[in-house]
Amino acid sequence: MQQNFRRRRFLHLLAACYAVVWIITAIRPIDFGDWLIENLLVFAAVPVLILTYRRLPLSNASYLLLAIFLTLHAVGAHYTYAKVPLGDWMKEAFAWDRNHFDRLVHCLFGLLLLVPVREVLIRTVRARGFWSYALSFTVIVSASGFFEIVEAIVAQIVSPELGTAYLGTQGDEWDAQKDMAVAMAGAAFASVLLAAIAAIRERKIPDDEIRRSPR
Amino acid sequence: MRSNAGRAISRGKTFRAILLAVYATLWTVLAIAPRDRTAWLLENLLVVLFAGLLIFTYRRFAFSNQSYLLITAFLCLHAFGAHYTYTHTPAGEWLKEWLQLSRNHFDRIIHFGFGLLMAYPARELLLRLARIEHAAAFWLPVAAVLAASTLFEVTEAVVAQIVSPGSGPQWLGGQGDVWDAQWDMTLAFTGAMAAMLLWSLGFMTSRQRRDRRN
Repeated sequence: MQQNFRRRRFLHLLAACYAVVWIITAIRPIDFGDWLIENLLVFAAVPVLILTYRRLPLSNASYLLLAIFLTLHAVGAHYTYAKVPLGDWMKEAFAWDRNHFDRLVHCLFGLLLLVPVREVLIRTVRARGFWSYALSFTVIVSASGFFEIVEAIVAQIVSPELGTAYLGTQGDEWDAQKDMAVAMAGAAFASVLLAAIAAIRERKIPDDEIRRSPR
Repeated sequence: MRSNAGRAISRGKTFRAILLAVYATLWTVLAIAPRDRTAWLLENLLVVLFAGLLIFTYRRFAFSNQSYLLITAFLCLHAFGAHYTYTHTPAGEWLKEWLQLSRNHFDRIIHFGFGLLMAYPARELLLRLARIEHAAAFWLPVAAVLAASTLFEVTEAVVAQIVSPGSGPQWLGGQGDVWDAQWDMTLAFTGAMAAMLLWSLGFMTSRQRRDRRN
């Protein structure tokens, strides 16, 4: 894997695509206040990714998954999660009682981000084999719990109406628990899938390749 | 004549036996006529699973005495909570009166205690099995505790829906607090961070002491 950003064409494409999506979704969001709070996550995550690039450049796959997640989040922020058209469509199609787009993104948080988290853990903590999956799962689950805490604090600070829009509970008293449960399920599924792929390949490619790569 | 190491091991075993005996006695006493048998049973489901796991894995993985002491302390506190049901624990009632609180905060104290007491055993487990080191040995145990707390809140919600469908968070000992789950997790998280900070301070001072001696 190439460390020099200039030579990683794929990352240029990815960054450009995400920038375009982000700018389009930043234009006239349904609720500007909600858009702003939702984007606090982006304002925190993107600089971290940029600043850590020199010391810890991740694989294309990891950046792709991160970009997919951030793109979905940008769409959610634009429409405020409870009003995303895709979720409304699913609500009608499956006769659900609420817009489940937020749950989908919580699930994908676990499913997609397990890969970059595992890569970071393999390279920084030197997690191996079973523990590379177990520790990534743990980190994802704790991040989901941490997010619910932060969300509650932010909702308490801002005005009640905006807080409700941001929380997107849509009247569900078990909202936090369900969000965390789907993130957990997504992370568990991703772990099993990755481990199965690694087992099928039989060689321990992911661990070793990732560890060798930054040189 | 036994070697020093042999004596240390047998001393360790005696300590563990005492811990087990103390906990077994306390647990038995508190199993007699609990305030609400169903709640007691539910609270003890996790204890049986957890204690069973500790006993069955003992041969393959034994914690240090320090860890066992912390785990036992946590389980003892939980046994009190289960006996009185957390909402009616006397220590919490007394605190409520004394500090003019709106609710019995014993459960919150135990959530904090979970973080404070279980972070060190979690750290030991991760150090020895996952072989984590450096900064990760500080933050991964905290993440593990927070993840366990998250898993617990989810499980609690599922159990609540099974046992008492429709009554919602009220049943959980949430005592009407809509942010109950978030508070519980925050306290576990804070407790774990406090434990890791205390541990690092202790580690640093003991190293200074050792350096001064040499």
